[in-house]
Amino acid sequence: MKVSATNLNQTPLAADIVERCKKGDVRAFRELYEAYSAAMYNICLRMTNNVSDAEDTLQEAFIQVHKSINKLEQAASLSAWIKRIVVNHCLNTLRKKKVYFEEVEEVEVMAEEGIDEAQFTWTVAAVRSAIHGLPQGYRTVLNLYLFEEYSHREIAEMLGITESTAKTQYMRAKEKVRQIVKQQNVTR
Amino acid sequence: MPDNFEGFIRQHRDEFEEQGPSPRVWAALEQELTGSSKGKVISLLQKNWFRAAVIAVLLANAGALFYFTKNRQPQQQQDLAVLAPDIQEAGVYYTSRINEKLQLIEAYPDSTLGLDSTARKELELRNDTYKALEKELKNNPGNERIRAAMVRYYQLKLDLLDKILEELQTKHATPGHTKKQYEAEI
Repeated sequence: MKVSATNLNQTPLAADIVERCKKGDVRAFRELYEAYSAAMYNICLRMTNNVSDAEDTLQEAFIQVHKSINKLEQAASLSAWIKRIVVNHCLNTLRKKKVYFEEVEEVEVMAEEGIDEAQFTWTVAAVRSAIHGLPQGYRTVLNLYLFEEYSHREIAEMLGITESTAKTQYMRAKEKVRQIVKQQNVTR
Repeated sequence: MPDNFEGFIRQHRDEFEEQGPSPRVWAALEQELTGSSKGKVISLLQKNWFRAAVIAVLLANAGALFYFTKNRQPQQQQDLAVLAPDIQEAGVYYTSRINEKLQLIEAYPDSTLGLDSTARKELELRNDTYKALEKELKNNPGNERIRAAMVRYYQLKLDLLDKILEELQTKHATPGHTKKQYEAEI
């Protein structure tokens, strides 16, 4: 049976691979990589916004996975554990590029007047392009919340900001995406 | 309650996924993992790491030149910006960063850098490997292997320059200690 991230969630299979990895079995690590690399690469690509950084970050993250797998106690939490390592490496890549996640004043983020989502044609391509064009800080918060499904509290801890800042940044990012997609609808 | 935007993302979540990474990521990873067991070799290299790094680049250049000249298929050359705009774009980005680093390294006197003229020449952006890759890319713009080699070339060059700068800054001078200041002092 080919190992995938989905069936690796089955504890016995995950436990077997983790145990073999702990013993230094490179083939087991390859299986682990093949199961997770696509999903983890997508996280890197969304976070770093370019292929070259995404590949470098993925490589560094898996080196960390290899070094630290002995510390993993519960194979059941393998997916979340790898994902967290990958996300941390993405954030380090961004920090090296001098992306700062700053506190913002707590202000009510108002939806732009006249934006009626019901009138929009949402498409994957339009949303992807809009997210790609966001300022890095906004994109990071939006990706972590919407795609990686971390809570605002978890995001705040990762970025070293307050939970209310994380929420505000997310609302602003979302609003910005709406504006860009709206603009795309108008010019189409 | 999720709004339209959030609802749309959740409904189409899978469509946002792209293909996995290129096979070169595993290749590099495997090399890194198996290489890490060669502790003694690494510790020896670390003593003279940046001479070793430049020598490694020289050897890689020789290999790349051999490969590309051997496999050359002459075709009509065209402008890289038209043939491979994405590589051209990456080139602009990396060239600017590489030139910044080269300028910083250039500020250090030759005696501090400790590299002979051949090795110094190798640090330059447009060395023989670069020219060979550029030529091959123009001849075969769709060849993924050459495109990847070009990007990797930029990345390796940038990494090497970063390491040299880091070493120079740590061991030889405080920030702002430039060639002019050095010359003024002696």
